[in-house]
Amino acid sequence: MVVIAIANQKGGVGKTTTAVTLASGFAQKGKRTLIIDLDPQGHVAISFGTEKNPALYRWIVMKEPLKKVVSPARNNLDVVYSNSQTELVKRHLTLLDYREQVLSDLLKSSNYDFIFLDLAPSLDILHINGLVASDWVIIPTRMDALSLDGVKEVLIKMNEITNNGHSYSGYRILPTFFERSTNETMTQFKTLIQSFGENLLPPIAQDTQVREASAFGKTLWEYCPKSKAVDGYQDGKNKKGGYKQVVERLWEVING
Amino acid sequence: MADKELTRQVVIDPAVLELMADMQEKQSESRLPRRQREKKAKERAKMRARRDQRVTYDIPPILKQTMFEMAESMSLPASQLATLALFRFLEDFQNGEIDLTKYKKPSRSPRYDWKLVFPQEWLKSASYKIKK
Repeated sequence: MVVIAIANQKGGVGKTTTAVTLASGFAQKGKRTLIIDLDPQGHVAISFGTEKNPALYRWIVMKEPLKKVVSPARNNLDVVYSNSQTELVKRHLTLLDYREQVLSDLLKSSNYDFIFLDLAPSLDILHINGLVASDWVIIPTRMDALSLDGVKEVLIKMNEITNNGHSYSGYRILPTFFERSTNETMTQFKTLIQSFGENLLPPIAQDTQVREASAFGKTLWEYCPKSKAVDGYQDGKNKKGGYKQVVERLWEVING
Repeated sequence: MADKELTRQVVIDPAVLELMADMQEKQSESRLPRRQREKKAKERAKMRARRDQRVTYDIPPILKQTMFEMAESMSLPASQLATLALFRFLEDFQNGEIDLTKYKKPSRSPRYDWKLVFPQEWLKSASYKIKK
C-alpha cells in the first residue's frame, strides 16, 4: 500500500483535480485505489458528479469500518467523501492522544494498492494527519509567488514531521495552470527547476476543459482525454507535460 | 587509476527541460527585431504545415541508398521521388498490374496475417544502376 498526499496550503492550485485525476489514472492501470477527501468543502464528490456525504466523519468519529463508508466511484476506485461535518472530525481529533497519527493507524488495516489523500488548504490537525499518514507528497502549485509560498510551508511541515521520526519515500512539485507564454511563468518555472531539480514534475497546462469536466461531474480521462491538461503540449509528434505523463512518471518512481 | 571522463548526470525530468528550452527560445525570439521575428514565425508555420506530410516506413537500406543517390544525381528531393514511386505503384496496383500473391507469405506476427517476401536479387546493390 502506498499513500500519496496532495497538499498545498494555498487554495485554488488544483489539489482536488490532481487527486481525482491521478487516482483515476492509477485505477485505470488496474490498481485498487482509494481517495480520501480531507477537505470540508467536499469537492471530490462534485468532481465525480455525486452528492457530498459525511463518510469521513462516520469513519473517524463514529468509528464505522472503512468498507462501510467508502463509495465506489469508478472501476477499481473507491472514495471516502467529505462534507461540512469534517469540521467536527477536526474537533474530535484535537481531543485525542497521539492525535497526529489517527489516520495513519486507521489506514494500516486497509487493503488498497494506492491511497490518495486530498488535503485541505490549511494547517489544521487533519492536514497534519494526512502528511503523517503519507509515503509520498505531491504539491501542486500555480506559477505565482503566493502558491510557491504554500509549497514552502508544506515542505517545512514535512521537515518537522520527518524530525519526529516519520520517513517519506519522496515528494514532487507539480506545476499547474501552466501558461508557457507568460514571463512570470518562465521566471517561476526557472526558480522551481533550480530549487527542486528532479523533484519537479512536468507541468499541467492551463485548460478551460478542466473546469468544464468538474461541472459535468466527469474525470478528465472521461471528459477531455485529448486536452492539453491531460495529453500535454504538442511538440511535433511528442507531448510535453499533462496528467498522462505525470501518472507515468509517478508510476515509474513509486514502483522503483 | 585510468582517467575517466566525468559526465554530469541529468536529474531533471526531460519533459521539464525541453519545455524550459522551448520557452527560453520563444522568449529570446520575442526580443528580436520585427523582421526576424516574422521570419521565425514563417519558418515555424512551414514546419507545422509539413507535419502531416511526414511518415516513417521501414525499407531495405539498399532502397533507401538508391533513392538518395538517384535524388542527388537528378538534383531532386528524395521525398518527391518516393511520392512518384508510390503514385505509380498505386496506379499499377489499381489496374491489376501488380500481383501481391507472388510475394505474400503467412506472418508469425500477432498483429499481421501476412508479410511480403521480396526476391533476393532486389536486395543486392548491383541490381540498381542509376543512369545519369
